[in-house]
Amino acid sequence: MYPRWLWPAFAIPGVVWLLILFLLPFYAVIGVAFGNIDPILQTPIPAWNPINWNTGWVAHVLNELTPGGVYWDVFLRTIRYVALSLGGCILIGYPVAYYIARHASRTKSLLLILLVLPFWISYLMRMLAWINLLAPGGYAARFLSFTHISDLLYHMGLLSQPNNYLGGESFTVIFALIYGYIPYFILPLYASLDRIDRSHLEAARDLGASPFRAFWHVTLPLSKTGLLGGAVLIVLPMFGDYYTPNIVSGAPTTSMIGNQIDLYFHGGPQPTIGAAITIILSAFLVVLMGYYMWTIHKSSKELVA
Amino acid sequence: MHPKERRSAATRREFLARTGGAAFALSGASGLLAACSNSTTTAGSTVNSAGQAVGPGGLPLARPDRRVTLPLWEQPIPSGMKPETGGEFTIFNYPEYIYGALLKEFGKKYNVTVKVTPFDDINTGVAKLASGAVQPDVTEMTPDNLDRVVAGHLIKPLNLDYIPNLKKNVWPSLVDPFYDVGSRYGVPYTAYATGIAWRTDQVKEDIPSMSNPWDIFWQAQAYKGKTALLSEVRETIAMALLRKGELDINTEDPAKINQAVADLQELYNICNIKVGDLQYSTIPEDKAWLNQAWSGDMMSAFFYYLPNKATGPLLRFWHPVKGKGPIQNDMWSICTTTKKPVLAHLFLNFMLDNGVAYSNFVNFNGYQPPLNEIVPEDLVKKKVIPETLATCVLTESDLGPDSLQEMTLTTKGQSLWQDGYSTFLSGA
Amino acid sequence: MSQAVATPAATKEFTLWQRVYGWITNPWGKPRFLVLITWGYMVWAIAPVLIAIQFSFNNSRSLTVWHGFTTKWYFSDPIDSIWHNASYRGALNQSMKLAAIDVLIATPIGVMLALGLARWRGRGSGASNFLMLFPLVTPEIVMGVSLLLLFTQLFTFVNTGTLAQVLGHVTFSISYVVVIVRGRLFSIGRSYEEAAADLGATPGAALWLVLMPLLLPAIVASAAIVFAISIDDFVISQWLSNGANSTTVPMLIYDATRATPLPSTDGLATVIMLITLITVVAGVAVFRLFTRGEGGRGSAVDDVAGFGM
Repeated sequence: MYPRWLWPAFAIPGVVWLLILFLLPFYAVIGVAFGNIDPILQTPIPAWNPINWNTGWVAHVLNELTPGGVYWDVFLRTIRYVALSLGGCILIGYPVAYYIARHASRTKSLLLILLVLPFWISYLMRMLAWINLLAPGGYAARFLSFTHISDLLYHMGLLSQPNNYLGGESFTVIFALIYGYIPYFILPLYASLDRIDRSHLEAARDLGASPFRAFWHVTLPLSKTGLLGGAVLIVLPMFGDYYTPNIVSGAPTTSMIGNQIDLYFHGGPQPTIGAAITIILSAFLVVLMGYYMWTIHKSSKELVA
Repeated sequence: MHPKERRSAATRREFLARTGGAAFALSGASGLLAACSNSTTTAGSTVNSAGQAVGPGGLPLARPDRRVTLPLWEQPIPSGMKPETGGEFTIFNYPEYIYGALLKEFGKKYNVTVKVTPFDDINTGVAKLASGAVQPDVTEMTPDNLDRVVAGHLIKPLNLDYIPNLKKNVWPSLVDPFYDVGSRYGVPYTAYATGIAWRTDQVKEDIPSMSNPWDIFWQAQAYKGKTALLSEVRETIAMALLRKGELDINTEDPAKINQAVADLQELYNICNIKVGDLQYSTIPEDKAWLNQAWSGDMMSAFFYYLPNKATGPLLRFWHPVKGKGPIQNDMWSICTTTKKPVLAHLFLNFMLDNGVAYSNFVNFNGYQPPLNEIVPEDLVKKKVIPETLATCVLTESDLGPDSLQEMTLTTKGQSLWQDGYSTFLSGA
Repeated sequence: MSQAVATPAATKEFTLWQRVYGWITNPWGKPRFLVLITWGYMVWAIAPVLIAIQFSFNNSRSLTVWHGFTTKWYFSDPIDSIWHNASYRGALNQSMKLAAIDVLIATPIGVMLALGLARWRGRGSGASNFLMLFPLVTPEIVMGVSLLLLFTQLFTFVNTGTLAQVLGHVTFSISYVVVIVRGRLFSIGRSYEEAAADLGATPGAALWLVLMPLLLPAIVASAAIVFAISIDDFVISQWLSNGANSTTVPMLIYDATRATPLPSTDGLATVIMLITLITVVAGVAVFRLFTRGEGGRGSAVDDVAGFGM
């Protein structure tokens, strides 16, 4: 009923916007990463034509990203922080999403509102809140000290000192990352769990599966897309985080790869290195995203079959 | 704006630290390059035809013991002209780095509207001047950038006849500074030393009496998580060099820089060292106990950030004696774009007036002007600062040919230092 | 907890610990450990923010020790109150301005893109779909760096500052609008428009008079969400800022958090949170009003929850 050209025409403004202001900027980063530096102003002289590319900066960064290189350890630390934060989000988030989707009845609306609420509270306000709770004399610091949880964390090696949470601790950074990103993880997971048709489960139970087996063989596979979607939504952005470690730690020993990008773009004669790290990080994330797409594609095929 | 409001605005020092999210306005670069190639210098290379090391602008690298006379690219304005009046007068400066009441006073005196155009950091500022995006009358400048802006003809030579306050009021060594013999291109604005700040209620050591006070960071096990260094490429590494007695804080020797970085890396295990430039507020608030700091920081801390009066006497600042630690200064220069060159000279003179400079210092800025009249004893006597912070105030005797200043490096040298800091920041 | 104490007679001789243990592991009722985790999570997620709000009313500079109630950090403190501090007011102004302009630009572009992507089946539609999804998962620092380099190397006519910030905000906002509106499009289906066409409506009338009113709630909801994510943004705003004139509230909070936050910092965060919540609640309310009687599934929560899928 609509003319064929109508829908592409509708898409054009948005697509053009994203091409110019989302995709083209990556080309600007590439141009800088493969470019040179103005000797006087120390600003980048980008190389737009691949023929003129100076591969030195990218090669330098790739070289330093191998074992023993400057960025190797900080990149490993970033992966470790992201992996542990994802693990924490799954451990906390899955039961919560599962409960709200499957078991909450009278309280479901309230729980959903509470679930969405952190989404609308500024990330920085939520970090600020924890800074003050964990500062000496803060409510959380006093609680952890009173209950001796602080000592426990110290003896488990999770804190390098008891009662000093903001003194540059990996534990605090990971805690803050989990706290900051978990709302973005739980929501898609909840949506996928909520969508699961209960008749599948009833069938499994009718066929004699225990609750655990029913969960393992029915619910978990069916929530895989939500799990992966939530994971992608937090893992990829977390790889570029630099402000969370800055806020809750400030120590080089808890810095992430984003802190290195930040450094090279703040003065000095090598913004090219910052651009090169950005490009390599983006390539790495595109691979992760590709893996996600491939998995989703495969599982949707399986579901159809 | 009340000075205390600066607490929530990012300070000039913070801006120095995060040298700008926007340091890349390149549109004027080619013009600047062309300007430089017209002059007889070899822009971009690290040595000139005489084999001397040169900075990015192609001029010899100035050092306290190597005085540099900058070339006059045009003649200064003649003496005895009347100041221009009416219209606008634009100052290019760090945000919140000059007292607005003084600008009003200046504007009233010469019947002009004084405006401040802020820049994030000096690199952005230079790039914007070069691009022509801004056309101010006067600009804040730093000695280590003079080489670039003179080579690029971005600032004008001065006629000192219009600036009698320079000779009358300023420390003699800055009347005729090593980086610009004869003050051809600028006059000093503020001076500051790099040292150590701490709280006596938390840090038990008597730092000034230690044989090597910088060692305090390497024995700060008891202050783990409460110890920080400036997050400045130059300052952080220079500190490690100085601790080992290496006084060439402008070295471009990779071995020395690498050793300094390795020394800094020891601090991870000793005190889980932090980095940041917020010591003026974290120390009075007890969030940090021991910090590398600038001399202006503890004065700012005392002026604006004290959570309660009792903390004031707990604050301490130490900096090395002359020749053992860096002392830097900022400057004012006249932009080539000015339409009011005479008035611009008078503004430089105005900022060096004893009363004006003092008011700017204690009523707003916190960073001291290098004037003969500002003496630590007087400030203590007038109760502007407590006696325990007299060490924050510098005097003429802190400068001189054997003093240290972090100065222009070759482009290659700057990269070495930045990579060294990157290694330190990686925390591994 | 009512269930836990419902049978006092039978459990009299059990210890408290046994009773709690029995309550949690009771195999016949709901999985109680899930109840605990869920409510524990909710408390953990929300309580810190409530405490931060509480301390914005603290009658001292402390953010850790309570010294009684005051509103001076909002109104009366001559230097540090939100009302009197020019940089707080400037930041609030800048945040609101960016968010409002973002909504005005990103919403129409996003709605059209949603329509286009949902119904356009041809060369380029798959790639466009891909392109639309990526801003949702791109780290902000990557977007910040790339936009900064775009504006300083290619589009040098765009100066950093408000204009650059607006362009950046719209770029990350469009995809959110698309995801929300497209979800609604799918749940509406095409039958209303087909019915209209059968009754003789022109394509324009079907689109404007039939589809648009049906989409309106999703459009309103997405506008509210764009407003919220714009006000919440820190990284893009910071990378594209040109100093004091384009400082936003999250940038101020970030600086304060690393230095010395005051109760007024909490207050500023509270003000921004209230503005966001009011906007979102209004958006959701409109959504609900228009989708009443369509069954339980059409809630904005579900739409929001559909991100990335």
